[in-house]
Amino acid sequence: MNRRRFLKVLGATSGGAAALSGCGIGPEPTEHLVPYVVPPEDQVPGTATYYATTCRECAAGCGLHAKVREGRVIKLEGNPESPINEGRLCSRGQAALQGLYNPDRITDPMARGPNGEWQKLSWDDAIGRLAGKVKEARGRGIVFLTGLEPGSFGELVDAWVKEVGGRHVTHESFAFEALREGNRRAFGTAAIPLYDFARARYIVSFGADFMETWLSPVGYQNSFTRAHSFDGDRDTLMAKFVFVGPRLSLTGMSADEWIAAKPATEALLALAMAQVILAGRLAPAPLDAGRLERLLPTPQRVAPVVGIAAAEIERLAREFAASQGGLAVGGGVATQYGDGAELLVVAVNILNYVAGQVGKTVRFGPNQAVADAGTFRQLTDLVADLAAGKVELLLVHGANPGHTLPAAFSQALSKVGYKVSFASYWDETAAASDLVLPDLHPLEQWSDSRPRTGIHALQQPVMQPVFPNTMHTGDVLLRVAGKAGTFKDYLQSRWKELHQRVGKGRDFADFWTDALQHGGLYAEAPAQPVRLDPGVVQLLGDVGGAGSGAADEPLLIVFPSLALHDGRGANKPWLQELPDPVSKITWHAWVEVHPETAAKWQLANGDILLLKSPHGTVRAPVWITPGIRPGVLAVPTGQGHKAYGRYAKDRSFNAFELLSDAPASFGGRAFAAPVAVVKTGDHRRLATVEGDAREQGRGIIEVLSLARARELKSGAHPFAEREVPGYAEDAQKAWAEAQHQKASLGDYAGTPPRWGMAIDLSKCTGCSACVTACYAENNLATVGEELVVRRRQMSWMRIERYYTADADGRRVGALVNPMLCQQCGNAPCEPVCPVYAAYHTPDGLNGQVYNRCVGTRYCANNCPYKVRYFNWFNFAEPGGEWESWPDPLNMLLNPDVTVREKGVMEKCTFCVQRIRGAQNRARLEDRSVRDGDITPACAQACPSEAIVFGDLHDRSSLVARLAADPRGYHVHSELNTKPAITYLARVMHGAARGA
Amino acid sequence: MKLVNPLTAIFHPPPTPGVLAVFGHLDATVDAIGKLRQGGHTDFTVYSPIPRHEIEDALDQPVSPVRMFTLIGGISGCAVGAWLTLYMSYDWPIVVGGKPVGSIPPYVVIMFEMTILFGALATILGIAFNALFAARRQGTIAYDARFTNDKFGVFVPCEAARAGPVETLLRGAGAEEVRRA
Amino acid sequence: MAETATAAARGTRVTYDFVTRAIARTLGHPGKGYFALLAAAVALLAVGIVCLLFLLRYGLGLAGYSHPVYWAVYITCFVFWVGIAHSGTLISAILFLFRSGWRTAVYRTAEAMTVFAVMTAGLFPLIHIGRQWYFYWLIPYPNERGLWPNFKSPLIWDEFAIGTYFTVSTVFLIMGLIPDIAAVRDVATGWRKKLYAITSLGWRGTNEQWRHYTRGYLYLAALATPLVLSVHSVVSWDFAMAIVPGWHATIFAPYFVAGAIYSGVAMVITLLVPIRKLFHLEQLITVHHFENLAKLCLLTGMIVGYAYCVEYFTAWFGGNPAERAAFWYRAFGPFWWASWTMIICNAFLPQLLWFKPIRTNILALFVISIFVNIGMWFERYVIIVVSLAGEPFERFANATYNPTWADWGIMAGSFGWFFMWFLLFVKNFPAVSISEVKEVLPAPTRGKAARA
Repeated sequence: MNRRRFLKVLGATSGGAAALSGCGIGPEPTEHLVPYVVPPEDQVPGTATYYATTCRECAAGCGLHAKVREGRVIKLEGNPESPINEGRLCSRGQAALQGLYNPDRITDPMARGPNGEWQKLSWDDAIGRLAGKVKEARGRGIVFLTGLEPGSFGELVDAWVKEVGGRHVTHESFAFEALREGNRRAFGTAAIPLYDFARARYIVSFGADFMETWLSPVGYQNSFTRAHSFDGDRDTLMAKFVFVGPRLSLTGMSADEWIAAKPATEALLALAMAQVILAGRLAPAPLDAGRLERLLPTPQRVAPVVGIAAAEIERLAREFAASQGGLAVGGGVATQYGDGAELLVVAVNILNYVAGQVGKTVRFGPNQAVADAGTFRQLTDLVADLAAGKVELLLVHGANPGHTLPAAFSQALSKVGYKVSFASYWDETAAASDLVLPDLHPLEQWSDSRPRTGIHALQQPVMQPVFPNTMHTGDVLLRVAGKAGTFKDYLQSRWKELHQRVGKGRDFADFWTDALQHGGLYAEAPAQPVRLDPGVVQLLGDVGGAGSGAADEPLLIVFPSLALHDGRGANKPWLQELPDPVSKITWHAWVEVHPETAAKWQLANGDILLLKSPHGTVRAPVWITPGIRPGVLAVPTGQGHKAYGRYAKDRSFNAFELLSDAPASFGGRAFAAPVAVVKTGDHRRLATVEGDAREQGRGIIEVLSLARARELKSGAHPFAEREVPGYAEDAQKAWAEAQHQKASLGDYAGTPPRWGMAIDLSKCTGCSACVTACYAENNLATVGEELVVRRRQMSWMRIERYYTADADGRRVGALVNPMLCQQCGNAPCEPVCPVYAAYHTPDGLNGQVYNRCVGTRYCANNCPYKVRYFNWFNFAEPGGEWESWPDPLNMLLNPDVTVREKGVMEKCTFCVQRIRGAQNRARLEDRSVRDGDITPACAQACPSEAIVFGDLHDRSSLVARLAADPRGYHVHSELNTKPAITYLARVMHGAARGA
Repeated sequence: MKLVNPLTAIFHPPPTPGVLAVFGHLDATVDAIGKLRQGGHTDFTVYSPIPRHEIEDALDQPVSPVRMFTLIGGISGCAVGAWLTLYMSYDWPIVVGGKPVGSIPPYVVIMFEMTILFGALATILGIAFNALFAARRQGTIAYDARFTNDKFGVFVPCEAARAGPVETLLRGAGAEEVRRA
Repeated sequence: MAETATAAARGTRVTYDFVTRAIARTLGHPGKGYFALLAAAVALLAVGIVCLLFLLRYGLGLAGYSHPVYWAVYITCFVFWVGIAHSGTLISAILFLFRSGWRTAVYRTAEAMTVFAVMTAGLFPLIHIGRQWYFYWLIPYPNERGLWPNFKSPLIWDEFAIGTYFTVSTVFLIMGLIPDIAAVRDVATGWRKKLYAITSLGWRGTNEQWRHYTRGYLYLAALATPLVLSVHSVVSWDFAMAIVPGWHATIFAPYFVAGAIYSGVAMVITLLVPIRKLFHLEQLITVHHFENLAKLCLLTGMIVGYAYCVEYFTAWFGGNPAERAAFWYRAFGPFWWASWTMIICNAFLPQLLWFKPIRTNILALFVISIFVNIGMWFERYVIIVVSLAGEPFERFANATYNPTWADWGIMAGSFGWFFMWFLLFVKNFPAVSISEVKEVLPAPTRGKAARA
């Protein structure tokens, strides 16, 4: 994609005329940029247009606002109207842009030639070939394999497949089969209900990573923080959160208590809790729950198996019931140990049921569409059919089993007569196919989805295709079927039906435009009551046996990666470079080992282990962490691609190789396997951004117990400067005051605003969505693994994760805080700059003039927060070794922000471009900037709404109120830097943990 | 080429007539200086390979004016340092680190360094002006290459006609060699 | 010439003439050994230049920096070379003011070393900045941006201090050289005579010239003395003005000045030993001179050792956890080897100089001086790199540091650059002061000649 082509695209997008002429001699002809002759009506240069659409990076279906500047989308933000994500967006969603502009996209239809080489085709030729193959294969096995398509496209595929006599299989790597099976067995419905975290008062998660990949991470995180945050004083109810699981995941890091129960015994724990509640009549259980009482195991019985004292179990149960808003969720690896894991879901359902919460915090009715995804068993059946040669024509769209089922699928694929891929990238499956018909990116196409019952989310093209010779798969299918019209027409026909149902007599055009503007139709589906299935009684006998298989070999669990998901994120440098919220490792996978285990095996961080499961072998570098149960190893998914573009290919190992290819009893996949571990003697420097994982009492993260927090009255200052003795404090104050006067700092002491931020650590979960938002907004370079190893990552926003533990190393937990430029009032970075590149703006920002910077790096040395980043190389040099935005990735650069040259220092300035933009808008409207006008990218993305920005001088602003909160403190306040960021101490149930 | 002539006179002045005596010994040189001064000679030149107090004492010249150069240079350097820092700070006042725009303590460093720099350069100028240029105004006087090695020398400017007594005086003082120039 | 050499070896009387001849002889035609040394220096310089070109083309990332370690080998080298530069002016100026006679034989080498070391040091701030081509933005010149440099930044102080120091030490060197160049002019032949005729600036040793010269020299010495003390103080403030624990200490100025003189004296010994040997100057640069240098070394070494103790003591006694963590990290962290190299080389090894047999053993002094040089390089490395890497405030941001070929290459180039100038100098200008050595000889008087 060169600039000229982009201009063509631009011209077409706008419907205006972008005239250009190329002339000149030599390989790079001179190009002239000619202004619009007829300016497009809907575009004001320099002003962004926002289009509502829907995120398709996972099955959650969050609403998007795509920010479009001069015909190209430059940022994705959450759609505040979407009930799924409430205007928030995770890292994966934001990184969809890098899928759109991915330099390794397939640009033209390709077919494999006689010698196996790829040849470009015209679309007519390609569609002709496909039509021919369809005709040939009719009746001899046609299978269409897609990802989860809960919308019109899925319906079109269904209809198309029906017409050609094939079958449609959908595949999601994480399809929650156990959840569906467990719900079916407990309640007789395989649906996945809505878990209402916001209304919960006590949350127990049995392995469910609801902030990472579980069902709807953004929405759940958002509602979780509504329940779990601390607002106010004495009367505040703050839900308690207990995390049960072998591994302290991101979700677990937010927990007040982490219980590392023995793997595969979580179900017993849940049942024992239910027993306590039922036996003690602690909650108004439904009548039919009574007969369970005698069947449920007592805490005393399960305690030795689970590895937790019976008293603890009883306490948990009592707290759960007493909260009158208990919510237990099960998922993640706890539902995927293998055969029988669905019983955990049954147990969790029983727990919710006996606590009387089903119908309250667990609501069937607004069901998740992911329950419609095909199960892993369906995929393995398909693979068996492929291997048996029963499939003549295989069409693949939106799924990459070549990666997620590496051995079996790839072998079986060779038996298929003809393989057609609709992939946008050369993933493993596309690379193994015979015909590739590149699809449009979801941001370029019309489509819709129904992520949850009642929600009809629309997807519209937010810009012209980046690569014009790509085509919507729906259009291809319609043309192959010989149907007139495009997929957009098909989509509208489906919406016309919807219009007839819910249109209330409005004109369809209005209805359609309205839906487009709002991103879809949002309605709350009514709750449906469910009753406990009588068959559940028989099941309880089986549960007792769970977890009894004590293996000598360590158990390896494979957990889904937050950033890379099942591997689909691996081709996006933002996601590759996003430090994993738990391990802080980038660009490669690792195996988590408990320090005790590591000591036993004499391992150091980065030692390469050979992990041999019964199904495969991988080489993984060790990362030693207290956040895992001893005897358990954990590896993330997502890496180890054999293809899939420059960012993903041949990177680290594919954790799916360790997993069984056979479905477990619940129809899903076992994400755990016993492994034999061999030390190889090899070593690899981890590409981590973590320095010291212990906070060592530096006052970086403050924690208050809930009881203490409730006692705090307004105006209290529990975190007043420590370290500084009284006399020194007085001297410092007097000195600072005198200096303040002398410095004639009136320009930010008086009327001008002082921009500030409040970050509530009780809300922040460490999910790192803000990090990616910052990359997107501020043109941060991704530097690659080699440079991250050398700590040259450029992320202005960094989530620090510190482990905490009791004095004896027990009760491990983790604390996180987002660390970004504190915009100090007395900034140590400023006076040391010899050229005034670092200076103080009158509105209290630490300005950084990139063009003035000569790169002495003194400011970075003098920054106690270490939030200044240096351009070690020219990350923008086209074709350069360290190029961060290879064409066309450079199209996502924000035109409001300079791309920094090599040799200059850069840093967060609270998205100063947004501040100035809002000020200019306010000036044009002849008003002053109002609180809430300005939202920096990090605050905007934050799924837990932990970051608040505003004017500290405006007494009425939210940020000023939060800055005066008794929980507020400044990091390293003893240095007298007077930061503009106030952190609000994390509040936890129980005693505050020491770092 | 009227302009060139005065320059030529400065750089290539005509030889000055006089008597040049070469001494092998310091005390003999001092002796000769004493006798010359008694004889009413004031504008003679003494060559020595090293500076010796004996010679200085015998000549009894006033203290070198170089010190004024140093003093003035130093003071003006300090002033320039103060002006540089304060003017440049207030020319475009920028607040950094919550410190006053014109902060004296850090500027003292600059003032100090400028004091030294200007003082040193002024001293050099003083030496050059006094020793090299001022001396040259007298014209070219006779010299012997041994004067930078181990011999002392005295040059007494005088007309050829009146050179006789001077020669005698110098020989009497212990000159190893006396010649007319 | 050959006669004089043998005479010197036999211990002939040291006369004015002997001094002139012995020193002028060092300026003769260079031998193969000299050219080999010069070629080695130029080769090292070439390595440095190639590395620098890569650095300019691709960026500073080629060096070993990491996120908290924003200053490393280049600034280490900068401080190291500035430190080396200090003994020259100390010996020539301070000892001049104290009328220490023994300085005369060694001060020229020391001063030349000063100038070339400052020349070397001055390159590093230019190399280490991110956009080397904009180095002149640090200079207060009127520009179209209307912006002046920030005089509150210690880096600007540095620029003024180093600039002044370079200027003053250069004119100081040239001043001292003038009578000596005149002396060799008067015995030289060929192109050297022309060179010296020009560079001696018409010096003839007249009473007028000496009158102004001696006064001026005195004032220069008087100016240079506080300058020496200020320059390394200012360099130390580059660190002490920052809030980095391990840097932020009031002891830094005297500590750095002592360290600078210490390393400078060691470097003088390192340079003088081979020069004395190669140029057969045993008569002029005697064991006595070395012993005095060794004593100076011992004194400054003790001060440095004391400063180490004070640093650790203050860190412990002050009770500041960040400070304590920084020093714990320094002594027992991943860079323990660097810290202990520094302490052993700088604080323990020089204790040997208490013993006269060692003080008067040239070989032993040479070896010790090299260890002190190594130790002093590591001192700067430890202060700069280790303090930054340990990052005691923001625990999450600490990281280790590994130098790369770009660091080593440019450091090697700096040695090449220094020795190239130094070699060119000693072969072309008197490396031992002719007139001042004569000054400490008894003047020839009637009846007896000068005797050493």
